Amino acid sequence: MAKPKIAFFKFSSCAGCQLNVLNLEPILLDIVGAVDIRYFVMAKRENFEGPYDIGFVEGAVTSPRELMELKKIREECSILVAQGACACHGGIPSVKNFSGMTQKEMEQRVYTELWDLKSFPAQAIDYYVKVDAYLKGCPMDKDEFVTLVTSALKGINPLFRYHSVCNECKLKENNCLVLTKGKACMGSVTAAGCGAQCPSLGRPCEGCRGPASDCNAASLAKTFIDLGLSRDDVVRKFRKYAGNTPEFSKGAEAV
Amino acid sequence: MSDRRIFVDYIARTEGDGAIDIVIGPNGEIKKARWEVWEPPRFFEAFLVGRKYDEIPEMVQRICGICPHGHHLAAVRAVERAMGVKVSRQTTLLRELLHYGDWIQSHTLHVYCLAAPDYLGYESVLAMAGNEELLPVVKQALSLKRLGNDMSVLIQGNEIQNRTSVVGGFTAVPSGSELRKIKERLKEAKDFAVSTVRLGAKVASQDPYPQLVRKCEHVSLREEGKYPINGGRLVSTEGLNVPDWEYPEWLIEKHVPGCNCKHAIVKGRDSFLVGPLARVNNNFDLLSKDAQAIAKEVGFTVPDFNPFHSIIARGIELVHAIDTAMELIDELGDPVYEEPKYEIKAGEGYAVTEAARGICCHGGRIDKDGVCQKWDIVAPTSRNVYNLEKDFEYFVPKLLNLSDEELTLKCEMMIRNYDPCQSCATHSIKVNLRREA
Repeated sequence: MAKPKIAFFKFSSCAGCQLNVLNLEPILLDIVGAVDIRYFVMAKRENFEGPYDIGFVEGAVTSPRELMELKKIREECSILVAQGACACHGGIPSVKNFSGMTQKEMEQRVYTELWDLKSFPAQAIDYYVKVDAYLKGCPMDKDEFVTLVTSALKGINPLFRYHSVCNECKLKENNCLVLTKGKACMGSVTAAGCGAQCPSLGRPCEGCRGPASDCNAASLAKTFIDLGLSRDDVVRKFRKYAGNTPEFSKGAEAV
Repeated sequence: MSDRRIFVDYIARTEGDGAIDIVIGPNGEIKKARWEVWEPPRFFEAFLVGRKYDEIPEMVQRICGICPHGHHLAAVRAVERAMGVKVSRQTTLLRELLHYGDWIQSHTLHVYCLAAPDYLGYESVLAMAGNEELLPVVKQALSLKRLGNDMSVLIQGNEIQNRTSVVGGFTAVPSGSELRKIKERLKEAKDFAVSTVRLGAKVASQDPYPQLVRKCEHVSLREEGKYPINGGRLVSTEGLNVPDWEYPEWLIEKHVPGCNCKHAIVKGRDSFLVGPLARVNNNFDLLSKDAQAIAKEVGFTVPDFNPFHSIIARGIELVHAIDTAMELIDELGDPVYEEPKYEIKAGEGYAVTEAARGICCHGGRIDKDGVCQKWDIVAPTSRNVYNLEKDFEYFVPKLLNLSDEELTLKCEMMIRNYDPCQSCATHSIKVNLRREA
């Protein structure tokens, strides 16, 4: 069987998810040997046109040029993967969508020469094209990336988790930050897969992996109010990494 | 203040796709030498307004996945200055160790994965790994990069984005025994770091690199008694010496008519360079003993104004980072958890760190409820852009005998010397080279 042709693309984001591919140091050369990397500008000088078997897209779509590229990439890739919070849900770039300022007001706040700017609200890539798989988190989880690539090599569906970070915390026997310390933790509504990285280290989950399936964000929002958060605090919690999603919007709008 | 805002315009747009546009006239004169960047802006400075003080360090580290710690630690310190928060000695040491881990990761990535392939004639480090002689070197480089990452994972829970580091300290601290395991690995990695300096010196001694010297002002931090990483005064090879929080006053930008890029200059003077070469030039006496020794062995003397020697400076800093990290681990002993304690207060604060690729400046104003009123960000790459264009103007006429293909590669290397904040920008650059008849 020919090695699958792989491509990495980057839109509005920090490049951290692509770097996390290179952060696979101990197995990087094995992974690279098992696939044919055709396009990866962060790591290679020689890059090739499509079609590709798997395309990984990092970053939110915030400009007409990105949108045009995304549509072309979709046509070129058999499997299209959203890589990281920005591509999956809009991520940090989507915070601007809820800043209370218009696009023009924001532009004026940051720049003086506005003629050159062509920016619109930040969206996840599945707002515009069909996406076949999601590697959630900020940054994306390396192990899930490896799971996806190895599953693709075997021709099977990767097994990703759809329950919440809360479950992972329980499996790790962590003390609950909400119940024992009264901290505003997003773990009960956030998709699992990180191994409850933050709560295990004493930091409340910030929701970077976006909504878990069937989550009750409105109820959590009310709990946050009971914990003493202001209405604005609660809105900020839900309008951060995945504020675009209907699930987290319910949390932001519940108070 | 609107001037400084434009700076940020430039950072955001430095990330990702860009182009070099160079036009050489009939007599070999440079008619145009410009680095154009089209990366869409993300408006951090706009959307941070209205967010909580503790979200600022959390969000700004997401500006750049390659040097998140530089952004994060500058923002944490700026918020702490604004609110008058004091942190413990243990927190200061852990933050330094965390940042040195980032330098080890980032410098190894740059030297072996981004710069070395150019000097050795490969398209990528992956292609280098295909050569049996180079494969062991690539493997060692990857394991040193892993070590830097493991320091980050141990201290803050993730390779890239901070989990534990917050305003006032850390939500969890590593155990002494885990730190000592890292120290053992640092000890083992030292020889390879030393060999990195020799490799850098060897490849940079090939023609035409030794001739490519251009004197310009080198700006970095400098701290009393120790090599700068998370703080210090702002100094330069031309005598600048001011507190770091005064950066908005001294490092300014000039709008050049007819050119839509904003040019960063030192007040009253010209363009400047930030990054490892500037740091080594301004702080050579503060490097670890072994780092100074290897520098002398390969004939590296300061001040060095050859930007192609930044690969050597990175190697020297790798040795220094390993030495210093081991000392920090000794001093940390067995860290104990300290709850971050502070009061939310209104105030204004600015701070500068040395990200792996140069000074990274953050600061702004917070109101009495801890809500951000204003935030300014200037990343290292935006400081270097004007200086890079001057490199083009100065070096390209010396390289006109090269073929278009070779000259194009040399121009790309001039950019990679600076290790722009998003290394993707360095590789996605398209060079449009036009020679007019």
